[in-house]
Parts: sequence; structure tokens; C-alpha cells
Amino acid sequence: MVTLTINGVVQEVNVPSNEIPMLWVLRDIVGLTGTKYGCGIEVCGACTILVDGSPRKSCQMSVNEGVGRSITTVEGLSPDGVSHPLQKAWVQLQVPQCGYCQSGMLMSACAHYNSGSNGDGIEIDNLCVCGTYQRVKQAIQLAATL
Amino acid sequence: MAIGLMEAAPNAEQMQEGLSLPSGIKPSRRQFLVSATGGFMLQFCLPGLSRFASAAGVPAPTAINSYIQIGTDSRITVLFGGCELGQGAMSGLAQIAAEELMVEWTQVKSALAPLGPITYITGGSSAIRNNYLPLRQAGAAVRMMLIRAASNHWGVSVNQCYANNGTVIDAPTKRVLTYGALALAASKLAPPAKPTLIPDAALRLIGKPLVRLDMADKTNGRAIYGIDVRLPGMVYAAVRHAPMLGGTLASTPTNRNGVTFVNLGTAVAAVAGDTHSAFSALGEGDDDGGGSGGGGFKWTTPPNAAQIASTVFATQAATIMKQGPVLESEVVGSALAAKSTSTTTIDATYSVPYLAHACLEVLNCTVNLTPTFCEIWAPTQVAGWAQAAAAAITGLPLAAVKVNVTYLGGGLGRKLETDCIVQAVQIAKAIKKPVKLTWPRQEDFQRDKYRPMAVSYLRGSLDSSHNIVAWWNRVVTPSISAQKGFITAGAEDGGAVEGAVTLPYAMVNRLVEFGPHPSPVPIGWWRSVGVSYNAFFVESFIDELAHATSQDPYQYRRRLLVNNPRFLAVLDAAAELGGWNTTLANGHARGIAIAETFGTVVAQVVEISGASATGLRVVSVACAVDLGRAINPDSIEAQMQGGIVHGMGAALWGHITFANAAASVQNFNTYRLVKMSDMPTIKVKILPSTNPPSGAGEPGVPPFAPALANAYFRATGIRARSLPLFPAASHMGD
Ligand code: FES
Ligand code: FES
Repeated sequence: MVTLTINGVVQEVNVPSNEIPMLWVLRDIVGLTGTKYGCGIEVCGACTILVDGSPRKSCQMSVNEGVGRSITTVEGLSPDGVSHPLQKAWVQLQVPQCGYCQSGMLMSACAHYNSGSNGDGIEIDNLCVCGTYQRVKQAIQLAATL
Repeated sequence: MAIGLMEAAPNAEQMQEGLSLPSGIKPSRRQFLVSATGGFMLQFCLPGLSRFASAAGVPAPTAINSYIQIGTDSRITVLFGGCELGQGAMSGLAQIAAEELMVEWTQVKSALAPLGPITYITGGSSAIRNNYLPLRQAGAAVRMMLIRAASNHWGVSVNQCYANNGTVIDAPTKRVLTYGALALAASKLAPPAKPTLIPDAALRLIGKPLVRLDMADKTNGRAIYGIDVRLPGMVYAAVRHAPMLGGTLASTPTNRNGVTFVNLGTAVAAVAGDTHSAFSALGEGDDDGGGSGGGGFKWTTPPNAAQIASTVFATQAATIMKQGPVLESEVVGSALAAKSTSTTTIDATYSVPYLAHACLEVLNCTVNLTPTFCEIWAPTQVAGWAQAAAAAITGLPLAAVKVNVTYLGGGLGRKLETDCIVQAVQIAKAIKKPVKLTWPRQEDFQRDKYRPMAVSYLRGSLDSSHNIVAWWNRVVTPSISAQKGFITAGAEDGGAVEGAVTLPYAMVNRLVEFGPHPSPVPIGWWRSVGVSYNAFFVESFIDELAHATSQDPYQYRRRLLVNNPRFLAVLDAAAELGGWNTTLANGHARGIAIAETFGTVVAQVVEISGASATGLRVVSVACAVDLGRAINPDSIEAQMQGGIVHGMGAALWGHITFANAAASVQNFNTYRLVKMSDMPTIKVKILPSTNPPSGAGEPGVPPFAPALANAYFRATGIRARSLPLFPAASHMGD
């Protein structure tokens, strides 16, 4: 049993081991499936979450490392799921295609957004097999104005 | 089950009672369902991918697979029997129906239809192409029935009533009834045999960049993909395949640490309380992971293992190229005889490797199997095949197998296959619990149904005015259709030469041949299929002819397209958009190519900089497309962008090789794809057209590789005759 703070909610989570990656705790145990599995080796970024505000690939982060920290997943981006400026920009510019990478993409973009940068997020190295990058860059810049 | 998509779906009982309007045209039985919401539902059959289906030997769907549902609250739901894998089809189809229904976009919802016995296939960029007219007819039928219901209610002539914004209005009196209020009465009427379509000039929604219906759910974690399905009491399974293709599990491992193992023959499954425990039990994620035999399992070695090797395949291809056997795919005039009348003859041999699909969502499937019913949740492009496979394994009748199609985290042709679904049902049968099977990424790369390798010999003979008097092209590649048993081995396969035959160019004599390659590597349909390699071969070679005769590659193509105004217009549009005639910055170069894929013509101008023997930067891509009538230009632009990015990763780095029956790639770290920092600026121009719509999902891919290789030649003088350009640079991540 570990105590985790996920999207602002403090909760006791029954984990099979303290080494299990946060990705699978979120998906299989807590039931927050917005965070995705893509590679398991910190290359694709589909599993990106925020840990104390910093982007982190949750597939190689043990649940232990999340204890005492604030975890944010895509489900926690906004209370209603539509009102974060990034979410608005994403919908306005029709960014997602299959959408599978977008949770991780949004969490990386969120860190970028929170940093107050006015760049287009070119440093984000999340993989999008559908190739939505051009719109991601545009949406990051649009979100900064919303 | 929190699959929001399915909420409005009719249940199996309703489906069986439901009566169809086959192809949306001729009602066979005149009755409509009253849905649970008290509104009504028009049921009909969309043909889906008939071209693909007939090539694959699958009968076109005839059963109900799609619905238009009108609630008493006037909300409209379009349920269709395909899948949404990012191509925007769900929205595009709803947009077409909404047009004929004369409703606002905000009133419309779209969902996937639950599966009865259907054979709908999502592939071949067909969703819009094949369903456009049937869907318009179905929408028009519903509108006419609602109008008739209103005229009956008021006791006035149907001719004085008209539909407007989800209501029917009586013109003289301005009385109004909503669709919701009319739904029940309309459901008792016969659908019109010949629905009247809205004239072109009055179209309001078709051609508009409407916001897709799946956007919000894809930005907040609510979209449910196959991998996200959770059932009460569910356990988690993963598989590990034999390290060599054709290998089998030598002995079933003993259950340990709460993990149950299931022998699947060519793979072992681990079943545990969470995905990570299942992965760990298989040794996935170990440093030796994937095909090198981690996990401590015992496997048999297939007798022909040494023969399953890229070096062997290359030798076989060279032999077939020289000695045959080959089959004639296209013969016009006499290409071999005409060579003698030419002044210049040029030839070249090209090749491309196997490629992976690498959908970001790995293969997965969730099964709840009871003695009398099998329910499946899967990200599948062809639910009907999944259903048939499950029925065969469980011995249940088709009617007792239900397939719920979830969102797909990419399909790219890989999710036309049923291998993972078969395994999931086998595991469910063995362990007798609801189970979700997730393939570790290594398995996805190690057991893909790869885009086949291909080798192509081209010979062009020109007269003194540089006209092509003879064109000879021999393509050696494994046949997907033959490997899957749709045609006999060694038979002619139109799919293998797609993009090599019926070329748009003026060529007096031509001979295109197909040499079936015997490679046993499992292959499948990859975005744009045969055109993905044939366009590279043909369009690179056209460039070689232009260069050999000192002509501008754009102008040379224009000459060859003189009798083909459609291609010419697309080529010109791309050249203009890409600034073909403008001065290049220092160190920059451009290349151009054009290809037709499934009825859609795309031309691209690719501009690169910094080209060297080890890499280059793609600066910009100008893409012009003629796909008939554009339903949603924004979705089309997105599909072109996506196709270009897909083609770019493959052309620059994509390759899978085989040695000792094992694929070379385990994970994305050695299968590089385009990332944000590689991204060129992409401009897309859609040519205006009132022709019937054709596909958007795949045609963006093929022109990229030849346009890139042609630019690379211009920059370096190096003619890249095999892809990828930079195999040594295929690492990604740290
Ligand atoms: S799943 Fe974590 S980076 Fe790919
Ligand atoms: S939207 Fe499909 S992988 Fe990014």
C-alpha cells in the first residue's frame, strides 16, 4: 500500500510491489487509462505525466518515486476535461488523429506551457506516429494566447 | 463498461429484428426500429471496402452495419460499421449524413455500430470513398420520411413541407415540428425507394472544415482505445513469441509467483494481476528483451531458420529478376521489340526493405468468454474477421460472438490482422476469466506483418525527342494475397504491382511484370500497400530519364502528362506551391514526384538542405491532392500531413532486416521515426473537384520517398536506389 497524490486527490493504492512502474499503477490499478503505453523504454513519450510539475516518462518510474509528490495525468489537465487552454487549442486546431500519443504530448506541452515559454515546443520529443507535429506546434503557440 | 461510444448502440436483439435498407437504396423490408430513446432508427448497409474485399476474397457486406438514429430529443446519431483509426472517418461520414438530414453539425453525434455478422473492412482509404453515395441516400431517405410524417400529421401535401435545421416546416402556415417529435411517426413509414439528394449548389456541410466529433475525448483521456478496456474481475495477459519465426514453445513453463502460463504454440502467454507483472514474467523489458530469447523459455528451432535471412532473400530476388518466373501484369504494344528503335536506353535496379507498422497502440484484445457467449473488445479494422476467428476457436455460432470495436491507436493496415485476437480468445478459453491481452512493444516489432521487401528493375528506351518508346518494369516482391491464401502461390497479384501499372505517362510500349518472391516472412498491408514502393521505383526512374536527357524533372513530367489533364493539374499545383521555379537557398535542393493511390492523385515537392552521406534536413513539403469532392478539407490536410510524416520516417530510416529467422528491431530505439525537431513545414493544396470523393488516408505516403530521393540526387549527385537513405541513423532516444 502506498499513498499517492494523483490529480490533487490523495489516495491509498494497493500495489503488487514498490518497483512497479507508475504507468501500470495508473492504468491497471488506479484505472486512469489516459496515460498510455507505447514502448516501455522511455523513447516514445506516450506515458508522459507531470511529477511536481515536471514531465516524466512513467514507464520507467517506479511507484515509489511518486510517493510524496504531486502526480498529474491528462485526466487532471482541467476539471471538466475541456477548459485547459491546451485542450481548447488542441480542439480548435484539430490536432489529434488517432489520438493515442496525445495524452503524453499534452503533458509535455503542459510543462512547456507552465514554463511561460513562447516557443513552439520544438524540444518536445514525444513520438506521434500519425504525424500531427505541425499542428502540435501551432496549438502550443495558440494556447499561449488563450 | 465505460465505452461512451457504445451508449447509443442498439442491442443484439434489436439488431436481429432490425430491417435493412441494403446499400441505403432499395429497402428490402419496410420497417424501422423504434429505439430505446423512443425515436427511430434507419438501418442500412454500407459497402465499406469492396475493392479490397474482393481482392481478399471476402464477400462485400450485405447485412446491416450502419444506422441513423433520431432521438425524441432530436439528437441525431450516425452509427457506422467501420472503425476510427485517426482518419476522421466517423466524423466525415456523419458530416455526409447530416448534410442530407438538413441539420446543424452540433446536433449530430457519431459512433461505431456494434457488430452483428458483418464483413465491413476499414482499409484502402475506403471509408469516405465507398460510402459517400449510400450514406447520402440514407440521410435523404430519413429526411423525406420525416417530411412525410409531418405532412401526414398536418393533413397537407408533402410538397408544401420542407426540412430546415432539424425541423419540418409547413410553408404556407409556418407551422413547425421537430425531428424528435416526428421520429415515432416517421418510423412507421416506408422509406422512399429513390431518395432525392440535395443539389450541389445547396450543400452546406460537405466541403466545410467542421470540427471532428472525436477531438475533445482525445485531449482528456476519455477516448477508450482497445488497450484501455477494463472489465470487472479481469486479469492481464501478455505474450512472448518464439525468438525465431516458425519456432514453437518446447515445454509449458510452470506457474509461478501468481502468474499462469498458457502455451499458445508459437508463443507463451503469461497471465497476472496487472500488465507489468505479465510483462515481467515473460522477461519483457529485460535488457536482453525480445527476440534474443529472454525469459528463460525453451523453444524449438525451425529447420529453415538459417534461410530466413535478408541476405538469402536478396539472392533469391536477384535470381528471379534474372531468370523468372515472372507474370505479365501489363502489356501495351511491344516494349521489348520497341527498344531497338530507340536512341537512348537506360536501366536501373531499385529495392526497398521490409517495414514495420509500429502503430503507437500495441496490439491488444479483451475477451469475456462464457460457455454460451463470447464478447470481444478490440481495436480492429475488420470486426467480421475477428468474429469469425473467435467463433472458430470457441465453437460458438457467429451470433454468439460480439465484437466491440474501440478507438484504434493507429491501424496502418496492421489491425486488419486477427493474430492477437485469436490469442486472446485462446487465453480466455484456457483460464476461464475475462482477460485483456497486451502485446509488449518487442512482440509488436518481432511479429509484425511487415510491409514486404521489393526489388524493381526498370528500363526506359527513348527516341531522339526523348519520348518513351519502351518501358519495361519487373517487380519482384512477395505476394500478400498469396501468403494469406486469397490467391494461389505464384499467381498474378494486382496488389504487388499497384503503382507500377496504368501509369499516367505517355509511353508507347510498356511491359510490367511481377515476379513472386518466396520469402516466408509474414507480410501484410501497410499504409498505401504496393504503391508505397512502386511509386518510389517509377518516380525515381522518371527522374533518371529526365536527368539523362538533361531536362528539368518537372517539365519532363509535364511533357509525359500531356494527355492527362488531371495529373497535370495536380503536378502544376504542387510545383507552384513548392516554388519549383524560385531560386533555392545555398545548400538547398528540391525534388518532385506524383502518384495515384486508390483513385487519389498526389504530387509533392520536397525541399531539403544540408544533404550529406549521413543525413539531411527536410525543410518543406508542398503537397497537392485531387481526391474528388473534399468532404472535410481540414481532415484531408491532416491526412496528407500524416502521410508525409509516415513516408518520411520510412524513406530516411525505416528498415527491418532478418537474420537467423529473427527481425532486427525490438523497439523504437532502433526504429527511428520522425519527431518534432525533424518536422518540415508542410503545405497542402486540395484541388477543387465535383467528382465522387476518393480516399485520403494513404495517398499522402507514396510520392514522398521519390521526391526526397530526387532532391537528394540534385543535392549530392548520389542516386539513392534503395531505401532507406540512412539506415545507419535509425537510432532514436538516448
Ligand atoms: S511508454 Fe514510456 S516512453 Fe514509451
Ligand atoms: S495522433 Fe496518432 S500517434 Fe499521435
